[in-house]
Amino acid sequence: MNPIPVLTIQDVAMLDGVLADFLKKTEAELTIVIDRGGNVISQFGDMDLMEVTIVAALAAGSFAATRELARRIGEIEFNALYHQGNGRHVFMNSVDDDTIMITVFGSRTTVGLVRFYSAAAAQNVANILKSLQHDGHGLIFDATDISGAPIFTDANQASS
Amino acid sequence: MSIINYASREIQFKIVYYGPALCGKTTNLNYIHQRINPQNRGDLVSLATATERTLFFDFLPLNAVVIKGFVTKFQLYTVPGQVIYNATRQLVLRSVDGIVFVADSQWEKMEENVESFRNLTENLTRQNMSIDEVPCVLQYNKRDLTNIAPVNYIEYVLNNGKKRLQSFEAISSTGQNVFAVLNAVSQILLHKFSKQNEVPRATPLAIAIPAENVMPHDENLTV
Repeated sequence: MNPIPVLTIQDVAMLDGVLADFLKKTEAELTIVIDRGGNVISQFGDMDLMEVTIVAALAAGSFAATRELARRIGEIEFNALYHQGNGRHVFMNSVDDDTIMITVFGSRTTVGLVRFYSAAAAQNVANILKSLQHDGHGLIFDATDISGAPIFTDANQASS
Repeated sequence: MSIINYASREIQFKIVYYGPALCGKTTNLNYIHQRINPQNRGDLVSLATATERTLFFDFLPLNAVVIKGFVTKFQLYTVPGQVIYNATRQLVLRSVDGIVFVADSQWEKMEENVESFRNLTENLTRQNMSIDEVPCVLQYNKRDLTNIAPVNYIEYVLNNGKKRLQSFEAISSTGQNVFAVLNAVSQILLHKFSKQNEVPRATPLAIAIPAENVMPHDENLTV
């Protein structure tokens, strides 16, 4: 029996507060906090821009893939990565050993500004996540809460 | 590691399809992507070479309502099966909640199956996880081919750990038991987080294969 880590409504509000302040200062479009496995922990900004789940999975992969490159030049990992596009860019920075912050921004701001404010934002996010680990709240379901029906069905077979 | 967001009432789980090169991992995700209700899935993302070999991973996000009051998001990944990409497999396994090990049923692939399963257990150990603790289901794929090993032989070489894993015969190219496998691993991982921790046994669908290869093998026992 293993509890699943929980982000309470208060935790989410605190994280949203940090991310909203970060977006306001930088004029970036969207910021996502993910774990290094690609799971989304928190997100704030214009979610219609892209499919956040997929961006999170790809960003986690991208961040992890450069780790070996960092090791080859004597670093443990790169603390930050920047992908420059024509109109839209992505900045990723390490929050702690398990967490990464992704920021998507356009021409209204600069990578320097995003980089500058991301350090403080990452520190604030790390502090909130650290307090969650100390509080140790988790959730365990009752088996009756879980649907007994097949979770996923083949649409063609179900309709035939 | 999965996490629950009480504000959005969402839970996320990560399921990884693991196995030797060309065993059908990507074919599983392709079939699920094609046949599941489009409202319940996102785009299938494949980071592959020009010859369709998986270079980094394939990724398919699925949504379901299976736990009262929560939207459950299942994120399906495949790993690159080729031996040289072990560092990539380790990355994709990070924070995994459930595993589908896809074995190629052909006789000449048995050594690769065993090596890949050993590689899986080693990579889990590197993350302080154990194959006995992570929800895992075995899929014996390509049962429509002629040069396949009997199921009891594959069970003998792969499913011989302390904990007997649930296993399914499958043909991922036609979709036979693809959804049964996905449902089985999903149920096992959901019940891992429940108070009772008892998983209802999944029933594999009958599969059209030569009679001499049919063996009863649906096991979920701790020896």
